[in-house]
Amino acid sequence: MRVAFTKSTLSNGLDVIVHEDHRVPIVAVNIWYHVGSANEVRGRTGLAHLFEHLMFEGSEHQPRSFFEPLQEAGGSLNGSTSADRTNYWEVVPKDAAARALWMEADRMGWLLPALSDARFATQRDVVLNERRQSYENRPYGLAQFVLLETIFPDDHPYHWPTIGYPDDLRAATADDARAFFARCYHPGNASLCIGGDIDASAALDLAARLFSDIPPGPSVPRVEAPRPIARPRRLVMEDRVELPRLYLAWPSPALFAPADAELDLVADLLANGRTSRLYERLTHESRVASELAASQGSRDLDGVFQIVASAAPGHTLDEIETAIARELRVLARDGPTAGELERGRAQAEASFILRLQTLGGFGGCTDQLNAYNTYRGEPDFFDLDLQRYLDTTGDALRASSGEWLDPDRAVALSVVPVGRRDLALAGSNDVSQT
Amino acid sequence: VTTDRFVLPAIGVSAMPVTFPAIARDRLDNGLQVWSISQTTVPVASALLVIMRGAVDDPADRPGLAGMTADLVDEAAGPYDAIQLADAFARLGTRLAVDVGSDVTTLGFTAVAHHFRAALQLLGEVVIRPRLAAADLARVRDLRLSRLRQLSSVPGAAADRVFYQTIFGDLPYAHGVLGTTRSLTAATLDEVRAWHARHIQPVDATLVVAGNLTRDEIVRAAGTALGGWRTGPDASTGRHPPEAMTIVPPSTLLVVRPGAPQSELRVGHTAPSRHTSAYYRLLTLNALLGGQFLSRLNTVLRERKGLTYGVHTAFDFRRAAGAFVCETSVQANGTAQAIHDVLVEYESVRADGAIGADELARAKASLTRGYVRHFEIADQLVRACAQLVIYDLDDDTFDRFVASIEAVNATDVVAAARSFIHPDRSTIVVVGDPDECQKPIEALGRSPTVVTPEF
Repeated sequence: MRVAFTKSTLSNGLDVIVHEDHRVPIVAVNIWYHVGSANEVRGRTGLAHLFEHLMFEGSEHQPRSFFEPLQEAGGSLNGSTSADRTNYWEVVPKDAAARALWMEADRMGWLLPALSDARFATQRDVVLNERRQSYENRPYGLAQFVLLETIFPDDHPYHWPTIGYPDDLRAATADDARAFFARCYHPGNASLCIGGDIDASAALDLAARLFSDIPPGPSVPRVEAPRPIARPRRLVMEDRVELPRLYLAWPSPALFAPADAELDLVADLLANGRTSRLYERLTHESRVASELAASQGSRDLDGVFQIVASAAPGHTLDEIETAIARELRVLARDGPTAGELERGRAQAEASFILRLQTLGGFGGCTDQLNAYNTYRGEPDFFDLDLQRYLDTTGDALRASSGEWLDPDRAVALSVVPVGRRDLALAGSNDVSQT
Repeated sequence: VTTDRFVLPAIGVSAMPVTFPAIARDRLDNGLQVWSISQTTVPVASALLVIMRGAVDDPADRPGLAGMTADLVDEAAGPYDAIQLADAFARLGTRLAVDVGSDVTTLGFTAVAHHFRAALQLLGEVVIRPRLAAADLARVRDLRLSRLRQLSSVPGAAADRVFYQTIFGDLPYAHGVLGTTRSLTAATLDEVRAWHARHIQPVDATLVVAGNLTRDEIVRAAGTALGGWRTGPDASTGRHPPEAMTIVPPSTLLVVRPGAPQSELRVGHTAPSRHTSAYYRLLTLNALLGGQFLSRLNTVLRERKGLTYGVHTAFDFRRAAGAFVCETSVQANGTAQAIHDVLVEYESVRADGAIGADELARAKASLTRGYVRHFEIADQLVRACAQLVIYDLDDDTFDRFVASIEAVNATDVVAAARSFIHPDRSTIVVVGDPDECQKPIEALGRSPTVVTPEF
């Protein structure tokens, strides 16, 4: 699978990747900063994501708003923050490509003059509301936080959620944001990708003209992390939910580490969709579980593998846990069938092709080129990435399951309706008392 | 070009024209329409079968029957059971998406082009030979009942249920696609089969395909996969409600959610259908009022006051009627303030001279200049075609969009606001903690009635 591109590095360290695609008269601009909540310190959690909000509030030469010049050019735009990186993108009609790049350059080089204390305070309130909407007021919304806090020790940067703790957000100041910008937002810590209906050399010239005079910043040291904790725990929390739900989680390999792709395939084989083993046993046959999912959530430093299942009315989490443990043991003993492996490969191959249809936005072609460049130092990783899925064997899936997904060593979190701790797995401890 | 380094680069003088690809139309012997768009750029194809029946065709005492029937068709069909069917799609690197809306039911997939024929063949099995078996219904029913229970604790789902039930009153749009626990529990296999026999028919369906295939390849594949689909003796002619724009008396409804850190809000009323002659005026109006990031409402509630992560308004245009609604989730102690601000902004677009030239130009530009982004991939093309099918629109609808928006002026927009936005007649739904929000809402002069949505 070939995605044509050119890559250059400006003298200030900014990587510029250009991918020409003339199907539609649009241009996608995508930029990754290699900074996320893992670069935060305790007491100021949530700063990386709060900072992402400030990037949309205007910069020195366009101080009113980041949105206005792009909205009126017909652009769509957004950004997101994870533990490891922050990305920003615009998709614009091709006549606005220079404008989108200019806007990105202005906020990379000249953000702080437009950053007022008042803007900071308002966006902090917005983020506190984002936290309420996306986590606190959403059924099961706080479960992920408990899993991360349990699997990763206090001094591991994945211990805290990217959205941050409310007290930390309230304690943060505009000066914290300014220092964060100086430390992490500069050309040497960024990767710019331009895709679409634009000539590659023209795009590169434009990027060079707009970004070259931004000074390089201090190098951002790689985050050091202690080992995650692979020890069995049984926890329970109450929430405004109807059905009890079980989360089983384990520390797992980092992105692109050995067994990462295998566990990705294992997640699908176990619990994603009607073809999965747990769906067949727990939803189709015994009808013990009403919702099922699994994921290998691999990130830069470490991963978390999890299986999630809600009990069907009249059934218990203990029944579910027993059935999942049985399937995990069978998989670790016998591995997948040839059919399962073949299906997993077919799905991986198709998903690689299908996701490249879209030029911009989250997960589009330009975003993927930047992901590879940021994590691998090399945008051209599509084939090698896919090959991990095509080359693997049933034996490797079997061994990976056995090594990483020991049912006796899972963190098991029961989320139960308010006042119904009796519905948790037997022997669970209250989250608030741990 | 040398320009000042710090001057914002200009953009083109006008919006880029959009030329929607040509649609080739064929018709199979059984009446099924086949629309093809051939594209040679990417080795991918998307297919969407649009069946002109949806939740509006639910029997009055069986809300959710269309949805449950559609859920059942891909449980087992032809020689496949549910798991074999899902496995067959997965081996082709795709999956079947079955979706029931208020007006239509769709079945579709996107696949690598060389798997298109095989995937369409499977879709044909689902459409022509669903088993609709008792054991499968029992399982599907249980899953949907669980889903309803789960949704009852999702603030947005509770707010939507109360809002649409209230504003649509007796219209079939009042109920959600999922229906209710009562209705699904009472539904029988015979009812499911009867609904299917009446409504899932080739004469009222269109297959839309876009991708790296010729028209001939698409039509032949459609003939093989769907040519055996026959219109049965019980076929209905559909039950679409008359166009209605009744606005119910205003009320403020509160769904109690103890301890909720935010209140989920809906503020609005019925609106015209997709066929309204005010369509382009309403799109423009909505963009500046609450449809885009820098709308009046998002600027006030998010960017100025920080009360919410975001707020937006939309006209939900359907075949026979529509809704206008503001959706947001605001911090609990800001509930009354937010309601007040929403109503103030609704009023503000209705006054003489309410819309400034700059604001109007920006709203129009975001719609016209951004339009070209909507036709990038095969799935977008088939979904655009589905709009033509569902709302009986002309083929040049997309090509004319830019000019239609450009023709809108400020007087038109204010007139549209006066006709179609009614702050004093709005239904207000709050899902939140009464201890935080009840008294402040009363202080606005609106006494909330506590309601419990039926799930």
